[in-house]
Amino acid sequence: MEQPPKDWDCPVLEQVNVSADYYLLSVAAPQVALSALPGQFVLFRCGTRYDPFLRRPLSIHQVKRERGEVSFLYQVRGVGTRWLAGRNKGDAVSMLGPFGRGFTFSGRGKRGILVGAGVGVAPLLFLAGELSALDWKLVILIGARTREGILRAEVFKHYGNVKIIAEDGSTARQGTILDLFREEVEEAHWEMIYACGPVAVLKGIQKISKETGIPAQIALEERMACGVGACLGCVCEGATGETVRYLRVCREGPVFDSHEVILRD
Amino acid sequence: MIDLSIEIAGIKLKNPVMVASGTFGFGREYTPFFDLDKLGALVTKGLTLKPCPGNPPPRVWETPAGMLNAVGLQNPGVDVFLREILPFMKTFGVPIIANIAGFNVKEFATLASRLSVPGIAGIEVNISCPNVKTGGMALGTLPELAAEVVGAVVEATSLPVIVKLTPNVTDIVGLASAVAKAGAHALSLINTLQGMVIDINTRRPALGNITGGLSGPAIRPVAVRAVWQVAQGVDLPIIGMGGICTANDALEFILAGASAVAVGSANFRDPLTAVKIVRGLEQYCIQNGIEDWQELIGAAWKGNA
Ligand SMILES: Cc1cc2nc3c(=O)[nH]c(=O)nc-3n(C[C@H](O)[C@H](O)[C@H](O)COP(=O)(O)OP(=O)(O)OC[C@H]3O[C@@H](n4cnc5c(N)ncnc54)[C@H](O)[C@@H]3O)c2cc1C
Ligand SMILES: Cc1cc2nc3c(=O)[nH]c(=O)nc-3n(C[C@H](O)[C@H](O)[C@H](O)COP(=O)(O)O)c2cc1C
Ligand code: FES
Repeated sequence: MEQPPKDWDCPVLEQVNVSADYYLLSVAAPQVALSALPGQFVLFRCGTRYDPFLRRPLSIHQVKRERGEVSFLYQVRGVGTRWLAGRNKGDAVSMLGPFGRGFTFSGRGKRGILVGAGVGVAPLLFLAGELSALDWKLVILIGARTREGILRAEVFKHYGNVKIIAEDGSTARQGTILDLFREEVEEAHWEMIYACGPVAVLKGIQKISKETGIPAQIALEERMACGVGACLGCVCEGATGETVRYLRVCREGPVFDSHEVILRD
Repeated sequence: MIDLSIEIAGIKLKNPVMVASGTFGFGREYTPFFDLDKLGALVTKGLTLKPCPGNPPPRVWETPAGMLNAVGLQNPGVDVFLREILPFMKTFGVPIIANIAGFNVKEFATLASRLSVPGIAGIEVNISCPNVKTGGMALGTLPELAAEVVGAVVEATSLPVIVKLTPNVTDIVGLASAVAKAGAHALSLINTLQGMVIDINTRRPALGNITGGLSGPAIRPVAVRAVWQVAQGVDLPIIGMGGICTANDALEFILAGASAVAVGSANFRDPLTAVKIVRGLEQYCIQNGIEDWQELIGAAWKGNA
């Protein structure tokens, strides 16, 4: 039998408005902290009644194992995340997890490039921590539309060389994260690309990974109902085989090798 | 301990709480949460003759107090089910009801016959799926066609045949009578209601399949009404479903005339919903001094509550 996913009601330890509509939520969830892997997610129940009805998936952003603490970086988008942002220290939130297949990595001292677009940096901090503990040399690219969307750059600096870019030119560099990514890929030798962000960015990464032969792992989002693999609601199209085959983002993903899936906007 | 057991069309259940087709996979994903032998029965995801890829995403969309789904019967097909999935499901120690979805009358009969194997306790005939273009709901809205399917299935198997009806009709009692005459042993009420959402940002339908099936608490009053009407008009045991989230919701269905209930979308919010409902039913019986819970079935119209 698999490890029972936990916890149900977890106390909120801290809720911080990090920038614009972005929040950092820390909860006490010892079981999750113990078993979580980078790239996995947790399902939050938002509210106590039936509207909103479904749980909201959020990636695990940071884990403090010894303290039994887990944190989440999220953007307020709609009714669920707005409710979540209203939880304060001492409140309890119902969470289930961790779920999904996370990022894979092995070996020490390799060279990796992390690409986080917008709130796509959320799952990458936990990953950066784990990789850096294995002495990986990391370059971390963080991009967003505006400066307010460049999240957690200071914290990422503990784990590697951070480069930031905003599309509106409110940072030193102006352009998309793919511009930055292309330069980095040309400049050095990489053993793995890890990326999370909007589909347009992931598509670009997929293409470059194919051209250069550098393997890439991408974290996908899809609307979920159960989050555990039972409802078949959250699928994306698999790229292998001749017939159409759908893969569950919550179970076979959310992290996929970039050649495993067909990305559509 | 209150005895919550019941027999429906010859299927012995230790309690009247099952999980609804398509909301519990084949059980595997929920084994980490609780011992599935606490369930009254387990209903499989809809099975087709050949493997079915399902519809393109997005397949689920949240709606007020509910959700739309347009999964489109993604399943590995009956052969893979029998070979690779059923042996594992048999280890749960609960009756397994196979939900079948043919694209024509003959396919329904073939599926029923293929699934008439040890380990399957009953066949649930899904003539009510709103997410496929042929078969599904198309067969389930016309009484003559529905009766033809049910007749063929009853002929093809010696297992109890449960017919799952769609609420997307004007006369659900007429439909239920037709399938009862054709030999159905029990009814499942209700499948999802047809619905859709338009995304105002893209100005396009939100779901990949454009329309989907509405489920969750939003549809509960529709389902309770269907059970109430059919229970009084047709003499077959009813499995009630549609938005059940708590023991109180389940009791509404039982009082309306259901002999058992199934938990669907609520599993997504809380995987323990079904077991909590079993506990809640026990408590209700204790608190109200009820010794035989089956007295509650249809009590809202039988007047013996
Ligand atoms: C595996 C996974 C990990 C995620 N991790 C993060 C994260 O770390 N930080 C973060 O800010 N966001 C993350 N998201 C997106 C996040 O789940 C949505 O922003 C959130 O569900 C929106 O809910 P809402 O009620 O505020 O918005 P509404 O628009 O009101 O939500 C309505 C429905 O749509 C679903 N939904 C809306 N947007 C998305 C989306 N982009 N992806 C999936 N479902 C969506 C909701 O779950 C809900 O069912 C993740 C999504 C997935 C699938
Ligand atoms: C994601 C999803 C998939 C479903 N798949 C099936 C199916 O394969 N066969 C079937 O007969 N009903 C299917 N249903 C319908 C449910 O079994 C149930 O009748 C309906 O959802 C109403 O119950 P609820 O409101 O409690 O969810 C599905 C429902 C959902 C939400
Ligand atoms: S959300 Fe249900 S299968 Fe992924």
